[in-house]
Amino acid sequence: MQVTLKILRYNPEKDLRPHWESYKLEAEPMDRVLDLLHKVKWEQDGTLAFRKSCGHGICGSDAMLINGRNRLACKTLVRDLGTDVIEVEPIRGLPVEKDLVVDMEPFFKAYRAVKPWLINDDPPPQRERLQSPEERARFDEGTKCILCAACTTSCPVFWVNGTYIGPAAVVQAHRFIFDSRDQGAHERFPVLGSTGGVWRCRTAYNCTEACPREIPVTQLIQEVKRAIMFGEF
Amino acid sequence: MYRGREGQWAFYLHRISGVAVLLFLMLHVLEMSSSMFGPEWFNALLAFERNPVFGLGLVLVAALVLYHALNGLRIILMDFTSWGVRYQRQLWYGVWVLYVLIGFPMFFTMLGYVFGGGE
Ligand code: SF4
Ligand code: FES
Repeated sequence: MQVTLKILRYNPEKDLRPHWESYKLEAEPMDRVLDLLHKVKWEQDGTLAFRKSCGHGICGSDAMLINGRNRLACKTLVRDLGTDVIEVEPIRGLPVEKDLVVDMEPFFKAYRAVKPWLINDDPPPQRERLQSPEERARFDEGTKCILCAACTTSCPVFWVNGTYIGPAAVVQAHRFIFDSRDQGAHERFPVLGSTGGVWRCRTAYNCTEACPREIPVTQLIQEVKRAIMFGEF
Repeated sequence: MYRGREGQWAFYLHRISGVAVLLFLMLHVLEMSSSMFGPEWFNALLAFERNPVFGLGLVLVAALVLYHALNGLRIILMDFTSWGVRYQRQLWYGVWVLYVLIGFPMFFTMLGYVFGGGE
């Protein structure tokens, strides 16, 4: 089938603002949007810039705004879009560096702010810090996050707020707060409870819809809110 | 426009209705405080507000307040129960069912007053 791929392109050295470019190409229904981007880059315009690495939905580098929703280009089939006009934009709310490549630093800064590592000052036991299957299951969903930023950059509050740490950072905080081996809740509280913390979430659910790992993002955010509110910290 | 689903529209509508209600409240406070200048001013203002444009505005405000109130209940359920988030979409449809049941009789009654001239 013939598809039209529209890409919001931006070259900081030449363009004042991003503009749409259209590319016509032959595609199979089972092609991924990532394949189409490659075809454009390899056969039509080598200057097209985008990020990808694994090509299998696990490295989290190719989140893009595809036909109005945040998705991973490597996990989105042409067939599933149900149209032969495909529009690809960079994810929103982060500065665009070139074409589909954005500056991820604000995203990772928020990630680091919640201290996404195990905090436990007790001397490690001889073998391991034991945990029951139930205790492990408590934070299982958050462990699936690939830090693609599809959630954070789909959030209307993140687009306009400027200080909100965003859903991904809260998911990461949840991963450790609800880990029975972790004792760092008190250290994370100042960030999570600050004006840029969890309370900026207004439950618009775009994050949950966007997450390519099917993490119930809003559910996790609400659990963190309740943990703060009911003094589980 | 980002193609969000029910949750996104519930949120936008909640915001817009919230701001509109706040604006109305401020206008209302100004209206009431015009009585400071004496009964002539106050009565003149109230007479001016008989205009159906204000009546329609009032119906609009009522429509927004009702949405804000019902969706507010949905938000309370999402914030304070473990299952609210899971059923947020169904809850939103529930909001609209209640909206029609409560709102329509209310709006029609109000419109009757605005245009029927009933006091
Ligand atoms: S929670 Fe989901 S959408 Fe957000 S960064 Fe992690 S994997 Fe991506
Ligand atoms: S390229 Fe790795 S997630 Fe898509």
